[in-house]
Amino acid sequence: MINGFFNPKSIAVIGASRTPGKVGYDILKNTVQYGYQGAVYPINPNASEILGLKCYPSLLDVPDEIDLAVVVVPPQKVCEVIEQCGTKKIDSAIIITAGFRESGLEGTKLENSLIKKAKESGVRFIGPNCLGIIDTHSRVNASFAAGMPKKGSIGFFSQSGALCLAVLDRALSEDIGFSKFISMGNKADVSDTDIMIALAEDDNTKVILGYIEGLTDGRKFIEAASKVSKKKPLIILKSGTTISGAKAASSHTGALAGRETSFDSAFKQSGIIQAHTMGELFNYALAFSNQHLPAGPNVAIITNSGGPGIIAADACDRSRLQLVPLHKETIDELRSFLPSVASFYNPIDILGDAGADRYEKTLNMVLKDEKINGVIVLLTPTAVVNVEATAGAIGNIANLVDKPILASFMGKKSVESGSKILMKYNVPNYSYPEEAVYALNEMYRYHFWINRPAKTFPHFKGLKEKASNIFKEVMEKKREHLTDPEIHEVLKAYGFLQPKSLLARTSEEAVAASKGIGYPVVMKIVSPQIVHKSDVGGVKTNLTSKKDVENAFFDITTRIKQIMPTVNIYGVMIQEMIQGGKEIIIGITKDPQFGHMIMFGLGGIYVEVLKDVSFRVTPLSQEDAHEMIREIRTFPLLRGVRGEAEADVEAIEKSLLILSQLALDFPQIIEADINPLLVKKRGEGMVAVDARFTIGGE
Amino acid sequence: MISLYVGSTGGYSGKSLVSMGLGHKFKKDGLRVGYLKPVGILPFKIDDILTDNDAWRIYRALELKDPITEICPVVLTQELAVKGYLKDIRGLMEKIEKSHKKLSEGKDIMILGGYGSVYTGTVLGLQGLKVTKRLKAKVVIVVKYEGEFCVDYILQAKKDLGDSFIGVILNRVTYEFRQGVDDYVLPFLRRKGVDILGVLPHDSIVGAITVEELNDMLGGKILCCHHRLSNLVEHFLIGAMQVDKAVEYFKKARNNAVIVGGDRSDIQLSAIEAGSVCMILTGDLYPGEIIISKAEQRDIPMMVVRDDTYSVAKKLERLSVRLRLRDKAKVDRGMNLVMENVDFPLIYKKLGIKTG
Repeated sequence: MINGFFNPKSIAVIGASRTPGKVGYDILKNTVQYGYQGAVYPINPNASEILGLKCYPSLLDVPDEIDLAVVVVPPQKVCEVIEQCGTKKIDSAIIITAGFRESGLEGTKLENSLIKKAKESGVRFIGPNCLGIIDTHSRVNASFAAGMPKKGSIGFFSQSGALCLAVLDRALSEDIGFSKFISMGNKADVSDTDIMIALAEDDNTKVILGYIEGLTDGRKFIEAASKVSKKKPLIILKSGTTISGAKAASSHTGALAGRETSFDSAFKQSGIIQAHTMGELFNYALAFSNQHLPAGPNVAIITNSGGPGIIAADACDRSRLQLVPLHKETIDELRSFLPSVASFYNPIDILGDAGADRYEKTLNMVLKDEKINGVIVLLTPTAVVNVEATAGAIGNIANLVDKPILASFMGKKSVESGSKILMKYNVPNYSYPEEAVYALNEMYRYHFWINRPAKTFPHFKGLKEKASNIFKEVMEKKREHLTDPEIHEVLKAYGFLQPKSLLARTSEEAVAASKGIGYPVVMKIVSPQIVHKSDVGGVKTNLTSKKDVENAFFDITTRIKQIMPTVNIYGVMIQEMIQGGKEIIIGITKDPQFGHMIMFGLGGIYVEVLKDVSFRVTPLSQEDAHEMIREIRTFPLLRGVRGEAEADVEAIEKSLLILSQLALDFPQIIEADINPLLVKKRGEGMVAVDARFTIGGE
Repeated sequence: MISLYVGSTGGYSGKSLVSMGLGHKFKKDGLRVGYLKPVGILPFKIDDILTDNDAWRIYRALELKDPITEICPVVLTQELAVKGYLKDIRGLMEKIEKSHKKLSEGKDIMILGGYGSVYTGTVLGLQGLKVTKRLKAKVVIVVKYEGEFCVDYILQAKKDLGDSFIGVILNRVTYEFRQGVDDYVLPFLRRKGVDILGVLPHDSIVGAITVEELNDMLGGKILCCHHRLSNLVEHFLIGAMQVDKAVEYFKKARNNAVIVGGDRSDIQLSAIEAGSVCMILTGDLYPGEIIISKAEQRDIPMMVVRDDTYSVAKKLERLSVRLRLRDKAKVDRGMNLVMENVDFPLIYKKLGIKTG
């Protein structure tokens, strides 16, 4: 279906203009001036001919078949044109016109009727409020961009038209090739997901690049991205993830921006290569579209000066790349022709007087070393170095090997010619060494992603039944929170071990319950109005005697009555005190873009300050669970420090998967967490000490 | 010996304040004063003795020497409430009578502190009306003046109390209500045979709350200036406006606490700049280190609470009607307020006490 946009046999420009400088004119001119072979029909009721093409008063007056409609008429007329497209059996339209959702209430109404009309007429459309599209292979340029990039293998889609222009301009000046350019605009019909899938299926596109402000259906996007990223590198710059960015984005294209953490997690989970800056977007695109992926993390750095080598080494340290020492044989070989004061260890410093031949020999030698998976060549423009010859030598070698080679010829003026030569040989050149390192790092991570086995999604059957009555009842009573006994039942149904617990309404009952459970015990307030019990002093731990229990009962109930006089205290819960083990927190949150996400973090009193947590979109795979546990900074604490026993990490993994199942089973959960979940030693499992559930909606 | 029951037609009307003030003056006038709170609703333990927090404060303020065990014979704990609902508890009225008898020995006057209104307490069989009868007490009614409807309650109480009713003290009369009270309400009440024993004006210090109490009630975490938790807050402001309007707004209210989202650093800086006495950061969002250090520099305690701004404001609105006399500065101020605005000669006359 999307093919109609990129390979049309004929194009109509509705709203074509005779006046240079007007969008309707520029688009028409672009469609004809870059070698497009199909027919082009300008539509304008007031002109008979534009740019030498016969002009028609309306679409319906064109006698021939049309594949693609490019709409540039004023917003009020767009619906009518779309209707005509339907009549004329044109199934693809690009709506350039602005003045829709991005412009306010009236525009939103107009966009809604446009969506409806397009559906009725059987027309799919890109936009509105977009710049248009470009396909360098079919030579379609249905945009009002200035210029046409050369043929290449990068497919780029962008929510922002201006960003398209900027990228295009840089592409033109640096001679970077693109396969397709798609300005998405308001994404009222064709979505990022549609375009992403189309680019994944496009033979001319090797690397997919995207700029996104907000997603219409985050879940669908992530599902599609997981598949696409296994086929081709998918590099995305997502803006509007910070608070200030979100403000700007919502006034930009009316997109609902998501939280940064949600996007980070979702991207990680689906193999998307996330660029955080425009620079990264470009840098990664160059590396991925021009070079082979490294087969491993081992990188060698060749440099003609110390400082840049150190900077590159530092950057490697911050990445997943490894600066491994070379094989002894390689070092011996290097010694045979490099000056004795050169550095033979990685980074290999071939000194400031190095010429092209020294670069060439060293690079050849290092590439032969089977330990090395990729090479970064650094060059400082010294007086002796011949930049162009060196670039040519590197380029020649790069074309013969299947290991990635990235270059950083530093400076600007004296390395410009070298940079162009490198690009000719498809060796990306970066202004600074760390950019090359980070680009190679992303390539290695991507190699790792595509080579890992397919994810496994365990299913836990038969858990839902016992809990569904509880959720049903709470929903029916229009309550938001589950009570402690309800939570107890839900967790039990899902196989979570919980401390023995009994409800007590008076201190006498509390003492009896404590005796039954066995000291020491924990006492917690039970009230449907109190969700965060410890915040209000509603929890006392380590009660070891009758006296302790009596005092605790008095203290808790009195204090709460005092600070929250209107709450209904149902009693207290006496709980077995679980000793030992490490506190963790696991939970479910509902993200506006991605739906249910599972959270994991180390618990305890510092959790809210450290904010050391990881997230994944549900459903969770075994691998997701494995990764998210190891992703937090404090993971070593679970492994055990200073002779501590290792915590039962396998049990945590399972609990995350079960929680994911729980979230899938009950879409009405808005928020839930089990905190603390006490993890015991390896093989000994865990105990859910306290939990909260908030439900609503759906 | 005379017993004077300080009752009301609704909770949180200022009974404790009046009890303290009356006791203080009675002592000054040479009377031997005792205090009994028949039923307490603020359970509190001192040296493992269960009593009532308000009763204990009044006991201390009046520098009484009676055994603490007797000053509040029935304390309404959660435990007692639950038991009272499940079955009738016997012997409570007798317990009150016993304590009353013990404390009255050698006294000229016993002040009896009511709880809730004179109508509450039926669950435990200890309704105020019943208690006053059993203890043969005279009754003064304290009313927090909130509008003309109060008049109806006063007349009803007069009718229900009969001869034991000696008059009314209007409390917390705001400046807006004052003229209406003087011109219409007081003459009307007098005409209906209600003696006006005092009119206490609203006082922002007495109505203030300390930062520490505030933090306690909101379940917050104090982030800085632990030495300033005794700051008195008189007004609450919500920091939800554009930053350019904030400073101006914050400067208008004396001793204000600003309720603001933990992530609104712009407003927080404005509040620090404007010299608020406390900041309540909502949404469980912690401020940046720079904000904390600036607040520390300017001695402005900050607390983080889990609730959102609206919920906090709602809680505080409810809280403002149940202020307790805890702080020394507030107690002194409150007692002075009573001494200056209560017609003691009339009270003595009604009670048949001759002084001086």
